Amino acid sequence: MGSKVRKYNTKTNEFWWGWAFIAPTIIGLVILNIIPIFQTIYQSFFRTGDFGQGNIFVGLDQYIRLFQDREVWQALWNTFRYVLVEVPMSIAISLILAVLLNRKMRGRSFYRTIFFLPMIVAPAAVAMVWRWIFNANFGLLNNLLGLNVNWISDPNIAIYSIAVIGIWSIIGYNMVLFLAGLQEVPKDFYEAAEIDGASGIRQFFSITIPLISPTLFFVCVTRIIAAFQLFDLIFMVMNQNNPALPRTQSLVYLFYRHSFTEHNLGYGSAIVVLLLVVIMLVTVVQMIVQKKWVHYN
Amino acid sequence: MKFKIYLRMVLIAFSSLTLVACNNDDNRNETTGNDNSTGGSVSVAIWDSTQEPGLRQIMNEFTDETGIRVDLSVITWDEYWTLLQAGAQGGSMPDVFWMHSAEFQRYADNGMLLDLSDKINESDSISLDRYYSDIVELYSYDGRQYAIPKDIDTIALWYNKAMFDEAGIDYPDETWTWDTLVEVAAALTNDNQYGFGWDVSNDQDGYYNLIYSNGGYVINEDRTLSGWDSPQTIEAMGYVERLTPLMPSLEMLSENGVDVLFESGQLAMATFGSWMISSFGNNDYLLENANVAVLPMSVDENRVSMYNGLGWAAAADSGNTENAWLLIEFLGSEEMQIMQAELGVTMSAIEGLSEMWVSSVPEFNLQAYLDMTENMVIRPFSRNANVWTRVAQTELQRVWSGQPVGEVLQDIAQQMNQLLEEERQ
Repeated sequence: MGSKVRKYNTKTNEFWWGWAFIAPTIIGLVILNIIPIFQTIYQSFFRTGDFGQGNIFVGLDQYIRLFQDREVWQALWNTFRYVLVEVPMSIAISLILAVLLNRKMRGRSFYRTIFFLPMIVAPAAVAMVWRWIFNANFGLLNNLLGLNVNWISDPNIAIYSIAVIGIWSIIGYNMVLFLAGLQEVPKDFYEAAEIDGASGIRQFFSITIPLISPTLFFVCVTRIIAAFQLFDLIFMVMNQNNPALPRTQSLVYLFYRHSFTEHNLGYGSAIVVLLLVVIMLVTVVQMIVQKKWVHYN
Repeated sequence: MKFKIYLRMVLIAFSSLTLVACNNDDNRNETTGNDNSTGGSVSVAIWDSTQEPGLRQIMNEFTDETGIRVDLSVITWDEYWTLLQAGAQGGSMPDVFWMHSAEFQRYADNGMLLDLSDKINESDSISLDRYYSDIVELYSYDGRQYAIPKDIDTIALWYNKAMFDEAGIDYPDETWTWDTLVEVAAALTNDNQYGFGWDVSNDQDGYYNLIYSNGGYVINEDRTLSGWDSPQTIEAMGYVERLTPLMPSLEMLSENGVDVLFESGQLAMATFGSWMISSFGNNDYLLENANVAVLPMSVDENRVSMYNGLGWAAAADSGNTENAWLLIEFLGSEEMQIMQAELGVTMSAIEGLSEMWVSSVPEFNLQAYLDMTENMVIRPFSRNANVWTRVAQTELQRVWSGQPVGEVLQDIAQQMNQLLEEERQ
């Protein structure tokens, strides 16, 4: 009679099981995301032939063209304006909504569902409805308010109209994330503040915001990354010959046009690389600044 | 406890069901013919949903006759070429699909299309000289034939009868010149309606006809130089300058489209291609209030219509080329061209067979489209026409906004020449 021999070391066992569980996602990520990133960067140094055949190496020519292309810089600025409007506003609105819907109130679940509904509607349907709402001559907004504004064909305001659609679509998603973050905040803090006579607003800024700052940071970073990739709203709401397009088109829209409509994948890839660099820079800056305002307990 | 386990199992079963049932088959439909022989199947892709019902009927006939099942997919125009390109690169193109002059050269040049020349020579029901020769030539490359012509389309002038009646003006006829058009459009423009409508994107079905009837051109025969800066072209586009005050604004046009505006009674006149009949024929307002006439002629009595024709092509390496050819042969045969015309799908690619199409919607004077076939010019194209077409349309917005035509067209010509040169490299 001897002691049972342990065939497997627990640590090795855990190690293998761990990898087994994350393997599907990692493999998908590598094959469908990581490798294509390098392929795209590689392709930006070529002038693409038809159907991926006959690519000609042109070195940095695509990038030189990129730097001189005013359309690209205008698109970058358009995308920036979209991000600057959509992200802060959607975060502010959804944060307030989350706080309001975190109290015990009648119909709380009902309201939470309503605000989340835009997330489950197909993007194409969202675009079609808003396209009609914003239509200058026959649309809901102008006819209801008696206005004559060219919401999506005036070069000055079209990007902001698109931002409105973006904000509307994403409020529900942000709100859910904030609600989750709010559950972590212990009620004792609010009770203590109440006893000390702090107003609701004071409590919001001094207790809520610092304690959910990790969630806030997460939402901020991910929403900025997503907002920089704006494409489908512009593509579906505005025609190719919309006079507002040059001051509204985003970098991804330009990428789509160059790569898929005009069969110039090399230049399109260069545009995408530019976008990648911009997003990385913005994210790095955010990571550095987080030490100043995010409180991890 | 047991209930929970049971519930869990039911939920797992349901979720795996949704995984299995999750395929996008919405737009794919199989033909319902008699599957009498072993046959097999053939996959077809097209982009015009209004042509689908007629084509499906024809393909059902094919299945009845041969027992080969046809899987027809209708994809929107925007996605069609992206899909086809992805399929071409990935080796999974549909067996049979539509070809268009704008894209044909790239596909043919890279060996993506099945060479049909030998099969055509052997075939009894297909003879190339029955088709309009321009279309046959359009789909030939290096002396070999890569697609069979499917149809042709021409352009004609549509007008709103109610508006003409109200103003007491005679309907457009074959005596009209472009000057007449401008005058009448001016008379019909008031607070409630616009006399005419053209958007920058209406080239084949709009201002190209004006340009060519005036003796101008967009691209030369060799497809090496732009014609936008030729004097006749500039003169022709001068009409557009005169028309812009009589048309909806650029914003309104880009948000709504000329066809929508015409269908909602906002325009007195507009030009449309014969492919619009499938949808116009189902529009009650138009059936009652609209009709079609030939395009106006130029000052020296030159009347031109742009035309284009689609072709049926087969994938070169689909592994199903036999069935693909049988279907194409069927579709290109005289009987099926007649059926296509009768069902009101489009005008036939075979000369002389479009009379049946003319009577497919009796309320409209479709003879006008047939009359326009007397003097047709093939739609301008080159290897990568998308790029300079977009440049032209974007620059033309300046003309629509009131800038003088001459300098805008010079700009277009300059950019287009540069792009054409890049194409040759």
